[in-house]
Amino acid sequence: MKLLDIAIKDLLRSYRSTIGLVFMFVVPLLVTGMFYFMFGNIAGDGGFSIPAVKVVIADLDEGGPSMQAGAENIPGGIKADTLGELIVEVLRSEDLASLLEVSLAPDAASARLTVDSQQAHVAIIIPPDFSRQFADQYGKASVEYYQDPTLTIGPSIVKSIMNQFMDRISGIKIAVDVALDQMDTSQYALIGEVIERFLDTSETQTEDLSQALLEVRSPVQSQQEDDPLARMLGPIMGGMMIFFAFYTGTATAESILREEEERTLPRLFTTPTPQSTILGGKFLSVFLTVAIQIAVLLTAAHLLFRIEWGQPAAVALMAAGVVFSAASFGIFINSMLRDSKQGSVIFGGVLTLSGMIGMISIFAMNSPTAARLGDTVSLLVPQGWAVRGLMMSMNSSPLPELSINFLVMLGWSAAFFVIGVWRFNRRYA
Amino acid sequence: MNAIEVRDLHKTFGEVKAVQGVSFEIRQGEIFSLLGPNGAGKTTTISMLATLLRPDQGDALVMGKSIRSDPMGVKAVLGIVPQEIALYEDLSARENLTFWGKMYNLRGVALKQRVSEVLEIIGLTDRANGRVSKFSGGMKRRVNIGVALLHKPKVIYMDEPTVGIDPQSRRNILDSVVALKNQGMTVLYTTHYMEEAQELSDHIAIMDHGKLMACGTHAELVKIVGEMHRIDLTTSAESDSLLEAWRAIPGVQHISSQDGTLTVLVDDSNLRLPPLFETANTQQVRITSIDIQEPNLEAVFLHLTGRALRD
Repeated sequence: MKLLDIAIKDLLRSYRSTIGLVFMFVVPLLVTGMFYFMFGNIAGDGGFSIPAVKVVIADLDEGGPSMQAGAENIPGGIKADTLGELIVEVLRSEDLASLLEVSLAPDAASARLTVDSQQAHVAIIIPPDFSRQFADQYGKASVEYYQDPTLTIGPSIVKSIMNQFMDRISGIKIAVDVALDQMDTSQYALIGEVIERFLDTSETQTEDLSQALLEVRSPVQSQQEDDPLARMLGPIMGGMMIFFAFYTGTATAESILREEEERTLPRLFTTPTPQSTILGGKFLSVFLTVAIQIAVLLTAAHLLFRIEWGQPAAVALMAAGVVFSAASFGIFINSMLRDSKQGSVIFGGVLTLSGMIGMISIFAMNSPTAARLGDTVSLLVPQGWAVRGLMMSMNSSPLPELSINFLVMLGWSAAFFVIGVWRFNRRYA
Repeated sequence: MNAIEVRDLHKTFGEVKAVQGVSFEIRQGEIFSLLGPNGAGKTTTISMLATLLRPDQGDALVMGKSIRSDPMGVKAVLGIVPQEIALYEDLSARENLTFWGKMYNLRGVALKQRVSEVLEIIGLTDRANGRVSKFSGGMKRRVNIGVALLHKPKVIYMDEPTVGIDPQSRRNILDSVVALKNQGMTVLYTTHYMEEAQELSDHIAIMDHGKLMACGTHAELVKIVGEMHRIDLTTSAESDSLLEAWRAIPGVQHISSQDGTLTVLVDDSNLRLPPLFETANTQQVRITSIDIQEPNLEAVFLHLTGRALRD
């Protein structure tokens, strides 16, 4: 009972400290909040919103002798008399309206001038013989692409769309040329079917490719898959939570040294309370303080930033691991110190260094090589195992795998706790 | 019956012999003062009696319980007022008392009731919910004492409780010590203020350099120096021949010099002052100030140690 009384008294003191509360709850949420507001526009429509690229087109195409770009032969059902018109219609289609703002120029010079005067980002100049060259089995159909050299993202989007379009057109041309070479004139009526089959095949391949890419990039099988902001904030918030949990563990355990200096600890030893109960109460308060911090941060981050931490059992295991390791780490560090003055110097160094090592894998997340190295190096400190557990929980790793990580954290904790308790007992014996 | 029996206590810290063979007895219901300068070994002795330090040698019984074999039993009958304020400054006076009450095994209604009683005793009922950090030094001292009273201990140790506080708070504390005695408690009081020991104590033990120099009632201790009067003098010049001449005067028992002040112990100041002045005049030394004190503990300490208590 006295053990609990001591722990509750310490909890009360911890939660009356404004600075303590700020570091326990406000700072981790604030840092994550900053990222939230920095990248918050992702959340609205599930992607970055980029200003529409201004494209000016000079369509000089005079058409070809046998050009029949009818709606039935063209993807999207767009009608066009020339290939140039087809390009204009494709770029002006509704699908691309959010990306491109298309205008027309009467000739090549005025199109280039529009870009030079920065009224448009890109000019596409379609030459007069574009359809004719396309229709000619041995001809070469090409468009001129003229862009503002100071811009990168917008022009590359247009280039990418144009490349895709031209690839498709070139594919059709090659398919038709091959068919013309191999068919009798009586079979020329089948050319339309050849084009359709080519388009079907190329579309199927494109879909397959996009699906494969999606699988590689989005291993998280959760609601977060649809929320890139939450996916980005999860590791950041988790990292902050772990860093500050270790800070809280160390700062709360420091109360043992501070009580010694404030003479309340020696006074406690004059009461009919065994030393083991007094120190046990102090240790319990460290565990409880960190546990409350983790519970509040996990819940707050879920509610505020829609972060999915994983399945309940996995989250519980991960949270318990963080609590045990952060609290015992704090007890261990403080048991090594002479007084709290020494502590204020040591804490900054030890917590910052070990925290940074532990979180290398989060910092290096976007660089696969660095991330692999970071994963290994971070495991040299308990924070690294805590981060690993967090990522496993968020990535829905199987429970047995998570349990192994938890057991390792428990091992760290046991070692820290035993050494810390031994040193404190010896100190006050 | 004795509340405390101390038998040949020894404690050494490295090379420093803090307490060397201290023995004394304190009867139940009395105020017993340990008087001595800083570093005399008072706090070390009290720490051993509070079971905070284990003696290297010797033992003590507190209400019949040995500090060596039954430290928990000793703690249960003891209330301790430490020299420094030992309170949780970020908790209120009531929260502090409630917490410390629990540490003394008080619970529930009994705890609540006792906390209110103690707040009344220390005169802080109206400030019960104020944080200790906002209290004056004197108020903190009163809460510090209140903690020691919570479990109605049989014996209270008060380790220099009046250090560094204003005269009014000091008066309050001295009055409360007498009040505790009147309630039947035994008080072990350490101080380096002679007046406090003289005013409060039934028995006084004088300590210096870890040793008990003398122990007894005020009257008994004064007899040690033969009820001598103390004359403090300052002169226009220091002269060894003058001191020799003064020592030769009948009735002059002891002369010492410290910081320009000459202290002369004599059997009767009225009889011995004229020859002291005459001799000084003969040697052409002017007496520039003079202070005469009736026999007191200061004189006893001087007599026993050869130096003043304030040093």
